[in-house]
Amino acid sequence: MIGNLRRFEPFGATPIRVIDERGRWVAPFNCDLDHDALRGIYRDMRRARRVDERLSTLQRRGKLSFVASAAGHEAVQVGAARALEAGRDWVFPYYRDLPLALALGWPLVDAVAQQMASRLDPARGRQMPAHPGSAALRLFTVASPIASHVPPAVGSAIAQKLAGRGDVTLCSFGDGATSEGDWHAALNLAGVQGAPAVFLCQNNGYAISVDFRHQSGSADVAVKGHAYGMPGFKVDGMDPLASYYLTLQAVQHAREGLGPVLIEALVYRYAAHSNADDDSRYRPADEVAAWRRRDPLPRYRRFLEDRGLWDEAAEADLGAELDAEIDEAVRRADEAGHAPLGWMFDDVLSDPPQQLRRQRASLARTHDLERDGH
Amino acid sequence: MAPQTIVQTVARTLAEEMVRDERVVVLGQDVGKRGGVFLATDGLFDRFGPDRVIDTPLSEAAVIGAAIGMAVQGLRPVAEIQFADYVFPGFDQLASQAAKLRYRSGGAFTAPMVVRMPAGGGVAGGHHHSQNPESHFVHTPGLQVVYPSTPRDVRGLLRSAIRGDDPVVFMEPKRLYRAVKEELADDDETIPIGLAHLRREGDDVVLVSYGATMAETLRAADALAAQGVSADVIDLRSLLPWDEDLVLERVARVGRVVIISEAPRTLSFASEVAATIAEEVLDLLEAPPVRVTGFDTPYPYAQDRAYLPGPDRILHAVQRVLDY
Repeated sequence: MIGNLRRFEPFGATPIRVIDERGRWVAPFNCDLDHDALRGIYRDMRRARRVDERLSTLQRRGKLSFVASAAGHEAVQVGAARALEAGRDWVFPYYRDLPLALALGWPLVDAVAQQMASRLDPARGRQMPAHPGSAALRLFTVASPIASHVPPAVGSAIAQKLAGRGDVTLCSFGDGATSEGDWHAALNLAGVQGAPAVFLCQNNGYAISVDFRHQSGSADVAVKGHAYGMPGFKVDGMDPLASYYLTLQAVQHAREGLGPVLIEALVYRYAAHSNADDDSRYRPADEVAAWRRRDPLPRYRRFLEDRGLWDEAAEADLGAELDAEIDEAVRRADEAGHAPLGWMFDDVLSDPPQQLRRQRASLARTHDLERDGH
Repeated sequence: MAPQTIVQTVARTLAEEMVRDERVVVLGQDVGKRGGVFLATDGLFDRFGPDRVIDTPLSEAAVIGAAIGMAVQGLRPVAEIQFADYVFPGFDQLASQAAKLRYRSGGAFTAPMVVRMPAGGGVAGGHHHSQNPESHFVHTPGLQVVYPSTPRDVRGLLRSAIRGDDPVVFMEPKRLYRAVKEELADDDETIPIGLAHLRREGDDVVLVSYGATMAETLRAADALAAQGVSADVIDLRSLLPWDEDLVLERVARVGRVVIISEAPRTLSFASEVAATIAEEVLDLLEAPPVRVTGFDTPYPYAQDRAYLPGPDRILHAVQRVLDY
């Protein structure tokens, strides 16, 4: 099985590509995805971009406290999601993984409700925006501390190995995460255990303002796989099909008990780190413009158009459909109101201790706990 | 069964729980063939094999973090940190991941797991083999923290910790590992986390302690009895949550209290107990609550007998509240 999927060799000098910047197929094998799948990849990327734009608008209007734009990261996330079996495999994401969560099937209304801390938020308004999570999708809830989810992801993969069902764990993070001690400790344990984990680094060149040259003494992230006994691959993360095929190979490698894989996807974030950041202080405008020309959306759209799978009318239809879907999700999340005050005291432990019950009662003397938390 | 030490009880209880529930796994540095540096996992590797008794690389972050991921997957991991002093590289995993997982996911994900760690001084280990970092954990909502001092409590609380649905920091009084022996009934007794144990009843003063200093506290109570002073002795056993009700009830009845903890004084757990007493039953007190604790220094090496709250310092504090 792995033989059929072993298309790429690790530790190559140049990033793996399947379609070039003008949307032409350049791989030495044939594309075996059907037309619906190929269009679905575009749809997932377009949807993520549109959601991203709307979240920024909502933030500027004061409806959200924070946005961490994923614009520029869509291709690798959508490609990776498609290489997994949603609901079977586990995914440990980081805060810029909304396109990944949506592509795995996270309901849009849940996503918007999380961002807005609405009463509809399945996580009950506990976290700032950009922190997805879903038990049904086996999508581990994001925590802000960088790389802190990598050791738990390895524990998940070890449990999958012990269960012996061939399930895998994909753990996603940015380039900054690769400097944290927990990242190295986790990859080392994964290597020792031969855990079925796929580590996906979305290297956008900057951890907020610190560029990769000041982040790592290595030439790239992929090479770090050597130290932990796992293959490391570098892929053009703005090529959704390269990201899909490489992740599929890595997932298969892990499923078959051959151990963990490290993938470095080269991407660029078009927006600042967050709404609170000013990227003009550290990124030259011509660099941003150069990466704009590699935008995965027009690039992949050209690939589809060249094959007769997409056109202006399809684009317009999709835009209208997405706007209607997003409008509806925002309306529902907004109308439900914010998470109430009383929810603050729930879900600390399986059974609230007497101290916490008393603290809740003491707040109830001065506050209506059913009132919106905001 | 012959009387069991605390460390034997840990190993025996782990084995029993692994037999009872195949989801229980043990992991950590040296827990496998070595059986743990204190032998707290002695015999488990031979009996249950490397899939359930996992020797890990020397990384507390990896050990605790992996336990979290295993727990999320439905296993019941029991991680060993060799000395409580070495938990800090794994503290982020406890504080940022384990403690907040249930909360941040709205209850969708939980981490039912136990992190065992021998703690406390008196073993000639200097500041990196002797500390009592319980206040760090107690100040981390989302964790449970226990610190028993007898074989029976170790067994009952370890069972509760493994069977419960929350992440539990299980602190073990290593100075008492082999110093306390107890005959254990052949039963399946569990001790609920959060309940203290009234070890002795008395009328003149309440002594509240937990962990290894229970030994010194009981010796102080013996000395007081010889002087005709009868002391209530409460072993808290659990610190988060802790048994406010029992402590307040006994202190309200007696009116005098001394709280003993070997952790550094400022923000020690003794401080929380004293503050609660002052807030809730001040008008029933005959004297201010007094703490006997370690000092606000790193744990010393050459002077640790004086650093630890021994019977002499406890008796001095009792005299102060009796004379007030």
